[in-house]
Amino acid sequence: MIALTRFRIAAYVRSHRAFQPLIGLLVLLAILYGTPIPAGAELGTMADSAAILIPIFAWAARGLLDNEPDEQRMISITAVGRREAVTGIAAAWIFNAGLAAISFAVLTLRLSARPEVAEVLAGVGLHLIAILAGTTLGALTSRPILGSPATSTLALLLGYLAVLLLSLSGQPWLTVPLMMWMREAHHGELLAHFPALAAWSLLWPLIGLAAYARLRRTRP
Amino acid sequence: MRVSNLSFRYRRGGPWVLSNVDLDFAPGDVTEIVGRNGAGKSTLLRLLAGLLTPLDGTISSRPHVVGYAPERFPTEQPFTVAGYLRHMAGVRRTDPRQVEAWAERLGMDHLLGHRLPDLSKGTAHKVGLAQALLGGPGLLVLDEPFAGLDTATRSELPVIIGEVAERGGLVVVSDHQGDLRGFPGLRRVEVGGTAAREVDPDEVAADPDDPADAGPREALTVLEVTVAASRAGELADRLRREGHMVRTPEAEVAE
Repeated sequence: MIALTRFRIAAYVRSHRAFQPLIGLLVLLAILYGTPIPAGAELGTMADSAAILIPIFAWAARGLLDNEPDEQRMISITAVGRREAVTGIAAAWIFNAGLAAISFAVLTLRLSARPEVAEVLAGVGLHLIAILAGTTLGALTSRPILGSPATSTLALLLGYLAVLLLSLSGQPWLTVPLMMWMREAHHGELLAHFPALAAWSLLWPLIGLAAYARLRRTRP
Repeated sequence: MRVSNLSFRYRRGGPWVLSNVDLDFAPGDVTEIVGRNGAGKSTLLRLLAGLLTPLDGTISSRPHVVGYAPERFPTEQPFTVAGYLRHMAGVRRTDPRQVEAWAERLGMDHLLGHRLPDLSKGTAHKVGLAQALLGGPGLLVLDEPFAGLDTATRSELPVIIGEVAERGGLVVVSDHQGDLRGFPGLRRVEVGGTAAREVDPDEVAADPDDPADAGPREALTVLEVTVAASRAGELADRLRREGHMVRTPEAEVAE
């Protein structure tokens, strides 16, 4: 499984497609951190960053999974069985962790004051959840699930918008509560609620991954 | 390996591609899958390889190590031949020295440093065969393995298939060009009309896609074609795929 994960990351990084989400990320970082982050806004900025990066993570995950030709995916399935889907998710998660590390490094460089350890841990935790949410969205819009590139792009964008709108609505439990992350972080309430919020936020990506695994049974 | 009461269709409400199929494969069997275009040969191969899950019925006792060579090897990957095959050897947890051994046997050792997108169709097909053979498959599934191969490899492939069968492996091949006809002990399964049934190897001696087989046979004639030596192999392959019998003077054909 490790060898196949390494193979897929190598194939994606060597192809020019890996640059697309990377360039998107750099543009986003230039806009977000054009001015220094004021003291006291550290955790709020980290929460904003995690929520805003989800479509970049989804774009990268979809790109990595779709980078592999269909016939090669068949070859991989015969080599490792149904764990092939797991290696795809793992490869996308690892690549996205690299993107998140770049983003976090830039964010840290633009801080005006040193944040507390608990705030940094919560910020890292939100980014890890965001990577999983983005990877899941990317996987659910990848070619084995949605064959048409146009439909897939639309589903990815609308999927993210739906998450934002639902988390703004009166029933945020229906999705990953992105708006709640940002609101609580900016109002200094996130640390107190973090474990419950993290568990709730992980639920939907895990349901999404289970759906992906189920769909891939009939879509090799 | 046993296929019991297998049924499959691609989507709910869609037409059944295969229905109530029962097949038995014993260790060492070499089986040719025949049938018209669109009959479901590739679907059956993918089901046997474990790429598709039967909607009904079961496939039991599938060997643990499965090698699969698709009809078209995907060359649009950013690796050299050696780099790709070494990655595949790693994925299959097999000795990377096998890469050189199979490359030499399939006559592509001089191309190991070439990038996959730069390969000719025939060489790309050899890379597909090599990756399927890495790790000593207990089930070898080959979709049109002879297409585009040069004469030397076309002669070598039945020997390789024989070796896999000799050590108890199962080999299932879809072969339009009939290169395996005459293979000792060859079994033949005909796919058509949602059924797959074993037939006598001599029963379907001609290409099932040949419309002439559907009705009374027409009289045959011999056509002489003059073609550039460099394109002779390609033309011969194309004509064979269309169901014609082609005899090429080996010494004059530049493969």
